[in-house]
Amino acid sequence: MSANAGTRKRSRAAAEEEKPVLSSEDEFEIPEINGDDSSDEEDFSPGDEDSEDDEELSSEEELEDDEDLDSDEIPSEDEALPKTNGTTNGDSTTGADDEDADPADNFKVVTGADGKPRYIYREINPVYDSDDTDVEDVNTIGNIPLEYYENYPHVGYDINGKRIMRPAAGKALDTLLDSIELPKGWTGLIDKNSGAALNLTEDELDILKKLQRSEITEDGFDPYQDILGYFTKTTEQMPLSSAPEPKRRFIPSKHEQKRVMKIVKGIREGRILPHRPQPEAADAPAFYDIWADDAPPKADHVMNIPAPKLPPPTHDESYNPPQEYLPNESEKKDWEEQDPEDREKNYLPRSHKALRYVPGYNGFVNERFERCLDLYLAPRVRRNKLNIDPASLLPKLPSPDDLKPFPTTCATVYRGHEGRVRSVAADPTGVWVATGGDDGTVRVWEILTGRQVWKLKVSSDEAVDSVTWRPTPEGRILAAACGNEILLVVPPIFDSEEESRGKEILSAGFGYAANKQGTKEAPGTWAKPDSGLEEEGVVVVITVRKTVKYIAWHRRGDYLVTVSPEDVRRAVCIHRVSTHLSQTPFKEKSVTKGIPQKVQFHPSKPLLFVATKRYIRIYDLAKAELSKTLKPGARWISSIDIHPQGDNLIVGSYDKRLLWHDLDLSTKPYRTLRYHDKGIRAVSFHRGGFPLFCSSSDDGTVQVFHGRIYSDLMENALIVPLKVLKGHKIVSHLGVLDVEWHPKQPWLFSAGADGTARLWN
Amino acid sequence: MGKIKKKGAAGNAKNFITRTQAVRKLQISLPDFRRLCIFKGIYPREPRNKKKANKGSTAPATFYYAKDIQYLLHEPVLQKFREHKTFSKKLSKALGRGDFSDAKRLEEVHKPRIKLDHIIKERYPSFTDAVRDLDDALSTIFLFANLPSNRDIPAKTIETCSRLANEFQHWVIRKRALRKSFLSIKGIYYQAEIQGQDVLWLVPYKFAQNVPGDVDFRIMLTFLDFYTTLLGFVMFRLYTLEGLVYPPKFDKEMDDKGAGLRAFMLESKKVGALENGESTGVAVKKDVSKQLETLGEKIKEIEDKQEEDDAPAAAIENGETVNEGLDKFTAIPSKDGTTTDILEQPNVDAGEGGKMANMFSDFTIYLARETPREPLEFLLRSFGCKRIGWDAVLGEGSFTTDDTDPSITHQIVDRPPMVGLPPMPAAKEGEDTEMANNTANGQRGKVLGRTYVQPQYIWDCVNAGRVLRPDAYAQGAELPPHLSPWVKAKDGEYDPTAPVADDGESDEEDEEVEDTKMVENGENGVESEDVDESGDDEWNGMTTELASEGEEEESEDDEEEDGVVELPSSDAESEDEEASAQLQHQRELEAEAKGIAYKDEKKSKKSEAKKQAEKQKKQKEDEIERQKMMMTKKKRKLYERMEYGNKKKQDEKEKLESKRRKIEREKNKGKN
Repeated sequence: MSANAGTRKRSRAAAEEEKPVLSSEDEFEIPEINGDDSSDEEDFSPGDEDSEDDEELSSEEELEDDEDLDSDEIPSEDEALPKTNGTTNGDSTTGADDEDADPADNFKVVTGADGKPRYIYREINPVYDSDDTDVEDVNTIGNIPLEYYENYPHVGYDINGKRIMRPAAGKALDTLLDSIELPKGWTGLIDKNSGAALNLTEDELDILKKLQRSEITEDGFDPYQDILGYFTKTTEQMPLSSAPEPKRRFIPSKHEQKRVMKIVKGIREGRILPHRPQPEAADAPAFYDIWADDAPPKADHVMNIPAPKLPPPTHDESYNPPQEYLPNESEKKDWEEQDPEDREKNYLPRSHKALRYVPGYNGFVNERFERCLDLYLAPRVRRNKLNIDPASLLPKLPSPDDLKPFPTTCATVYRGHEGRVRSVAADPTGVWVATGGDDGTVRVWEILTGRQVWKLKVSSDEAVDSVTWRPTPEGRILAAACGNEILLVVPPIFDSEEESRGKEILSAGFGYAANKQGTKEAPGTWAKPDSGLEEEGVVVVITVRKTVKYIAWHRRGDYLVTVSPEDVRRAVCIHRVSTHLSQTPFKEKSVTKGIPQKVQFHPSKPLLFVATKRYIRIYDLAKAELSKTLKPGARWISSIDIHPQGDNLIVGSYDKRLLWHDLDLSTKPYRTLRYHDKGIRAVSFHRGGFPLFCSSSDDGTVQVFHGRIYSDLMENALIVPLKVLKGHKIVSHLGVLDVEWHPKQPWLFSAGADGTARLWN
Repeated sequence: MGKIKKKGAAGNAKNFITRTQAVRKLQISLPDFRRLCIFKGIYPREPRNKKKANKGSTAPATFYYAKDIQYLLHEPVLQKFREHKTFSKKLSKALGRGDFSDAKRLEEVHKPRIKLDHIIKERYPSFTDAVRDLDDALSTIFLFANLPSNRDIPAKTIETCSRLANEFQHWVIRKRALRKSFLSIKGIYYQAEIQGQDVLWLVPYKFAQNVPGDVDFRIMLTFLDFYTTLLGFVMFRLYTLEGLVYPPKFDKEMDDKGAGLRAFMLESKKVGALENGESTGVAVKKDVSKQLETLGEKIKEIEDKQEEDDAPAAAIENGETVNEGLDKFTAIPSKDGTTTDILEQPNVDAGEGGKMANMFSDFTIYLARETPREPLEFLLRSFGCKRIGWDAVLGEGSFTTDDTDPSITHQIVDRPPMVGLPPMPAAKEGEDTEMANNTANGQRGKVLGRTYVQPQYIWDCVNAGRVLRPDAYAQGAELPPHLSPWVKAKDGEYDPTAPVADDGESDEEDEEVEDTKMVENGENGVESEDVDESGDDEWNGMTTELASEGEEEESEDDEEEDGVVELPSSDAESEDEEASAQLQHQRELEAEAKGIAYKDEKKSKKSEAKKQAEKQKKQKEDEIERQKMMMTKKKRKLYERMEYGNKKKQDEKEKLESKRRKIEREKNKGKN
């Protein structure tokens, strides 16, 4: 019960604490909680009152106890007694209670029913605080079950032989009510003696409460009282034995005497020398000719590293050095600001006019100490000193003069593009050069004069990423990639015959495309351009899904392959001009394993080179299988080009490296050249018979190489750097974006981020 | 297929052992290990692969060669350390009991004493090895000889050090082994040749040394222990080879009076002893036999001389004879006084070397009291000077303390000249000894008939290997720079003795003026310069050849310094240059044909040449760049490192040269 009360009290307190918080917070939750709370209160309303009472009780003094008890509906055991007494002589007993001191007042003499005086003793109040083993039974019926008295109005007899009346047992309803109301101290047990409900008293409740709280039940108990030691720590100096001292303790030991006599004898005989003076020289080592045999010097062992000698002093250590050795103010300041460990020399040169001005050197002891430390603490290592002329390390290269011709100077600058020039391409006849740039235009220039002959505005917002001429001499067709469109153009700069031929080639396939439509979703759609573009010379527009970054033609000019790296599944697309069909050789990304960067057809075999970020995969188109994977070891390949003979490959990478692969040798590069200061953007072989190749980089330079391949398989390719072509300006960290060789001459075209294309010859 | 190799069973993993492992293996404390390492000369190594050596861990560790540590296991000194440990336990126990007499007895009798003889023999199996390692030993010993004793350094140690230092100096003097010496700001460097080995040591100036608090003297003293032992044995051998008794007689009384070197008396060995000593060379043996022949006569002479020796005061007056006591080994009766012998002075190699070794033998030198006596005395005596006098305040043992002694030829002074005195007579400069007879008149300050020089004169003479003209070193004169004798300017290094051509890159005017002058004067210009310089002292007395070399350098410098790398945007410019050069050439030819000197466009010609040089330089750079392109990364790195080093040297040289030019220009301005 009390436990219940306690918990309830706590929960209520908790609720009270919570309430304001909740009300302030959220209105929605309040009703719920309130509902809970109210139900709680309903359920335990009597208990609640009780607890309130309880609180009062605990707060009020003991004096009020009686009143409270009186007010209690169910009389307790304690109450029963005074009542019984009270019926007889309530006043006298209470009066006697007060007068404890007088022994004569222990009893009263009352005339009994028989008229004889009768002693009525006062109830003895033995003070058994804790012990309740011999609590006197109020009822004297002994060990008889109470049921025996069921039919009587009383339940037994008290010590005075008076009947103890059965407590007013309520009706069934009352008991029910009692059980509901649960008076304080209710246990639900019935006293076997009195038949009344066995309730706990205030004190007992109190004890229980304290136990629950794991407090000390007894009032006024000091848990930290002083400890009384049972034993003293001082040792008692008491003789435990009273036996008298033995004699042996008072006479000299014979054994000892024997030993002493031995020593004495030794001294007498001179064997033992007491306090022999140590010779002074004992401390000093005796020197002798330790190298008398004079062994030949040992051959030096590999692991023996003799300490290096300190270098002899230099001029600037002199007390009077030549004046040029003296540090000036800034050098002095530098030296002083440096950390002592970082200083190249541990002294500052000073000049003294005469020897008498030379002071003592402050760091002498310290330097010697440092040397000592170095001798035993510094790890020693043998270092081979190379004493060679650095020039001998340089490789012998043939002179560039012997390897002429190669482009050396800028001959023409093609100006006109706004923004970067992304791509440059020379037409197979070697008369025109086409460029595509960020301004969305394709321009064609006359190579020698630098005159712009034709311009096509493809798009206003997208850049032309790639332009290429169809490599066959007949039918001048220019392919340009702008956004996700590939335009096949016949520029109206040629004579009408050539122009019509080109148009013929391109428009030959219009029928095919219509027939094949509907089988599957084609990767590219071939269509006629709108009238505006058609007038300009555009014949076909191929639309693919994502931006096309690069176009490469097959040598016969029927196929062209495009790369759109953004399209994961259809990055590589092969388009056939004669049938107007597009197909994706790699259906899934997993086939190429990586985003394709550049694609190239083999110049003679049906091979397709696909360069991803790290690897170059060579696919056999005839067998439709992967034939080889090259591992250049670069981090991010930017461009590749295949030697016209088809056995060698150069790879440019954004990590500044140019790699030369010999396809016959290995999957690793034969030569790695790292000379550009920034990433390489484009590489290109000369296709017109000159053993030249070049690379362009973001550092604004184009590097021209001589790359000769020998027909003898045993001989490695000869690579000689020839010339660095500088001229392009670096605009927002971009330099030369594309390079292309003239098809016949040793001339080079470059497209720069500075909005110009250049011809070098 | 070969056997499969187990990891960690060979190579770096097996060869090296960390310090902690070593200490644990030897079961000694870290300080003991340190001492052991110092004694045994064991040092940490840098394994080629640290990770492998450290069993896969990359934690920083000190590695020792495993075999070094393995050998240490059987080291007697290690046993001594253990004995010392037990001894110190006993001692502390006795002290704890308050048993002081017992403690004293323990300390005296039972303290284990470490002997290092075997270590010396082991570390230096041959005498040459030991001599090779003397540098550090000598420097340390000379330093300690100059330190005051304190709580850390016992007085006895310092005494030992100074004794050893003096003994060594005596040997060097006697052997004429000193080769070079150098006055540095740190101290005085000496180099001696012992057994064909060059030994270089540094002696601090005689000042109280600043002893920083962070110097651990336990380490220094451990080293010193070893070094004193080493030097002791080396000295013993050197003395023995020289036929001298080691240790030499030490006169405490003289030493207390500050006699320094003179407190030691070298004595030669008895004949019998010499015969026993197998180690002495054949030459010595011959000497001995010769001496034996003449022994009878000699003894007589000696007996006569003994009387003279009895009166040393009288001997001092003789001068010559006193010094013979050290240099010529006249009779010194040995303890028992029975046999003595005379060792003839070792023949210092004749010719150039002998001349050099006895450079000062004809001089009588007096040291003024402000000069450092010890180094000067050592230096002078090592180069044959027998008569050195000094002021009485500088200590005992002087040839004369009278600065007016007429026999003095040179006086070393380090004080400003007295003002208000009559100028020195011009005749002073001649080293005529006759002038010495002119008696020392009571002139305050200077005595006629002797040369006054500053101390640096002696050092410069020694390093030059001959007696220099003393006028540059006169009292109060501005001294020529004192240069290190160990620096030999190689090609491409700065040589302070060589004249530097006035490049004048900063102000071109000067250069041009000079140039025109040169052209006008033709070769006369050079000659006149030569004439100008011929009057100068040895330092600048260089041939014109060098000057012309300097001129060449100048042109090279031009190329390198003024070469500004231009962007090779186009070669049109260069072609222009070529064209203009051709034109120039054409004009020149025309002029030549006409017989007129082509002079008017000299300036443009010069700039032309400059441009040409620039262009060439650029081409060269391009070529190198091209070649570097084809190098492997490793080789390129190596090349760049080498280039870096060379450039640093070059920069240093240029810096010095430009400084020198500036200084010279200022000087010239001052003159004009």
